[in-house]
Amino acid sequence: MFRILARSARTGIVTNPQPLAPRLHRGFPVIDFRRCTACGDCARACPTGAIQIGAADAASPGPSPGTTRTVSLVYGQCISCRECIPACSEAAVTVGGSFDLVAHTREQLIHRASFDVDPASGRATFRQEESVPGPSLAESAQRLTARIRGRFGRSLHVRQVDAGSCNGCELEIAATTNPVFDLERFGIHFVASPRHADLLLVTGPVTRNMEIALRRTLEATPEPRVVVAVGACGCSGGIFGEGTYAALGGVDRVVPVDVYIPGCPPPPQAILAGLFVAMGIREARARPRP
Amino acid sequence: MNAVIQGVSEALALPASSLYTPRPGELRADVEPGALPEIADRLVAGLGARLASLFATDERVWNAVYALHQIWLLPRHRTFLRVSTRVDPAHPCFLSIAAKHPSANWFEREVMDTFGLVPEGHPNPTPVSLHDDWPDREWTLRKGFPDDRQVPRVSGSSHPFRPVTGEGVFHVPVGPVHAGIIEPGHFRFGVAGEPVLYLQLRLFYVHKGTEKRFERLPWRHGIFLAESISGDTAVGHALAFAHAIERLTGCEPPPRARYLRVVLLELERIYNHISDIGSIATDVAFSVPAAHAQLLRERLVSLQERLFGSRLLRGTVAIGGVKTDLSAAGRDELLAHLGRLKADFESLVTLLIDSGSFTDRIDGTGVLSTGAARDLGVTGLAARASGLDEDLRRDHPHDAYDAFAFVVPVEEGGDVRARLMVRAREVEQSIGILRQALGGLPDTPLRTTPPAELPAFSAALGWAEGWRGPCLHWVETDAYGALTRVKVTDPSFRNWPGLAHAVPGNIIPDFPVINKSFNLSYSGNDR
Repeated sequence: MFRILARSARTGIVTNPQPLAPRLHRGFPVIDFRRCTACGDCARACPTGAIQIGAADAASPGPSPGTTRTVSLVYGQCISCRECIPACSEAAVTVGGSFDLVAHTREQLIHRASFDVDPASGRATFRQEESVPGPSLAESAQRLTARIRGRFGRSLHVRQVDAGSCNGCELEIAATTNPVFDLERFGIHFVASPRHADLLLVTGPVTRNMEIALRRTLEATPEPRVVVAVGACGCSGGIFGEGTYAALGGVDRVVPVDVYIPGCPPPPQAILAGLFVAMGIREARARPRP
Repeated sequence: MNAVIQGVSEALALPASSLYTPRPGELRADVEPGALPEIADRLVAGLGARLASLFATDERVWNAVYALHQIWLLPRHRTFLRVSTRVDPAHPCFLSIAAKHPSANWFEREVMDTFGLVPEGHPNPTPVSLHDDWPDREWTLRKGFPDDRQVPRVSGSSHPFRPVTGEGVFHVPVGPVHAGIIEPGHFRFGVAGEPVLYLQLRLFYVHKGTEKRFERLPWRHGIFLAESISGDTAVGHALAFAHAIERLTGCEPPPRARYLRVVLLELERIYNHISDIGSIATDVAFSVPAAHAQLLRERLVSLQERLFGSRLLRGTVAIGGVKTDLSAAGRDELLAHLGRLKADFESLVTLLIDSGSFTDRIDGTGVLSTGAARDLGVTGLAARASGLDEDLRRDHPHDAYDAFAFVVPVEEGGDVRARLMVRAREVEQSIGILRQALGGLPDTPLRTTPPAELPAFSAALGWAEGWRGPCLHWVETDAYGALTRVKVTDPSFRNWPGLAHAVPGNIIPDFPVINKSFNLSYSGNDR
């Protein structure tokens, strides 16, 4: 008994006071659209189709006068394999350090730019970025801090549902409860039953065999409730794709999703960031209607 | 190799001409359909062979038949043996070996579920991988089945649970959505009060069509799918797939890559073993060591993120080598970290096993006897905890394992304590292997470029001893050199029947800790 206590005293406090502060050494890839020539080499290297080259002018495919082309990096599908980086001959794709790409819609997870194509040479030149910004983490975190200070005691109860994951996301979700990240200090608590939960943290791809269980789990969760999709598979089906005989795809194919946390798997920092954003939503929904 | 062919052909009473060696470490025998049971008996009785995998292929397009393949591990001859036979599409049946060799039980039923080939003489020919709402005559791995077919749900109950009767005897259903942060599966306990009479499993809730998906993806992208077979075994499965492709193409990874692969695989083993030891403590409510184990694991995986760019070591293995190098500074940092980890880990294990209230819960709990483990085909660390001395790293060395000195820890107890102690002793061995590998990293390129195309009509087996046990990938190409069949065998698929056997006789509150001591992958099993 005394040895156990002595051991704990010796270890001291290991919890990271600012779990969102450290940047990742190797996060999601980032395309510098000003260097990009929209050649499509990165799209061909991508195993999940997360990089897409499109003809913005759908009526006239192929390089014809006035044609524009788009390049989209869909973070919801990205598994951070980094195959796109050596594939780019212009060195336009690099490794970013960010992990906080939390979004409310799938559209917000797409970084897109349009290019003008010169009909004579076929060369594409950058025109503009067309991304839809997602929620700012700084904003959500600020709101959260204020709320915790203001009304200590209100908390978020989370039920995790694996609807088809490879268990990578589960490992990282479980890591948010470890002594370093310790998400309980933010009032976030994992519960054993959906009946006790405010939020469902769902990983995917949703399989045919989990579809009914997921729907029933949602039905068992009292309102107001929030659904968070975790991981590339939960956001988009990831490497398993969407609409196969066994994997239906992203969580939003089965139940409505409020927050998307991309990544394969997202690190604990990203999951925490997503939960903070989700807390803001729940706060708004739980407020009595005027 | 001729001596091996000679020995095997004598033991199996097959002419030596029917055996051949497509590549080192792999032996192949094509046999008549009627010979399967006798060959299996001779393999087990005469050569001590263990069934490593069993699957079918649809060769109707070029051969007008299906084929059934059994992969056996021949420990004495240090080789894998593939026994193949044809199955006539007009009479889609093959002779079952499951009545005498229960290790074939789930494998044969899965062939029935996915190919519609019936195992004749199987003692329990019911679906193992299909759920009740799956219609008849939809066989997903046949070539005519498109991977995007939307299969309607049907009503009915094709495989009901075993009934229980008697006063105070009842069913306890658990899952598929469990109470913790774990994967889904359904457990049905038959209990008399607290003691468990039997445990029935219904898995395959997370079946994602992975083997079919391999046939669709370009083969170069298959490695990313392999990493997602079981997220906690990303390196193990990526290596098994890479080995299969490398053996198929004759692409030899350079020495530095072979050493770094050992480093990656051992790091994966260490972080999982530490995490499992902590979870065993959690499941008996011993929270101080549980928190310490989580801390040790977190420190290691965050170092992995810094050194290799991925906490769970994804995207590190490439076909033909590795993607990420380790600098001299990174190597020193990792060695220093391992020194601290070793001291902390030893004191963690001492804290656990010196505590009477802890050993009370794990001693004699969830016993899997050596005989049961052998018959059921249990493998990997669960087998070593039940007294079966097997480890691919020593018996069929891949990557650079033949260059390192290490012992394979074996425990005789077969209980939760034995599985915990195998993990603890393996962590110690892994640190030793890592020190040898990091101390002698050869100075060579990281990767051999694989050929642009795979050879047509060829097949190869790749294997790696992941932390849970052997990961096996068997790949086959068609006339165009595209992957036409990838059979993935995760150790979990072989070990779930072992868990179902270890639980009866224990009380329900001990189930979580027994389950955790195996820590089987649902995703790896269901694929």
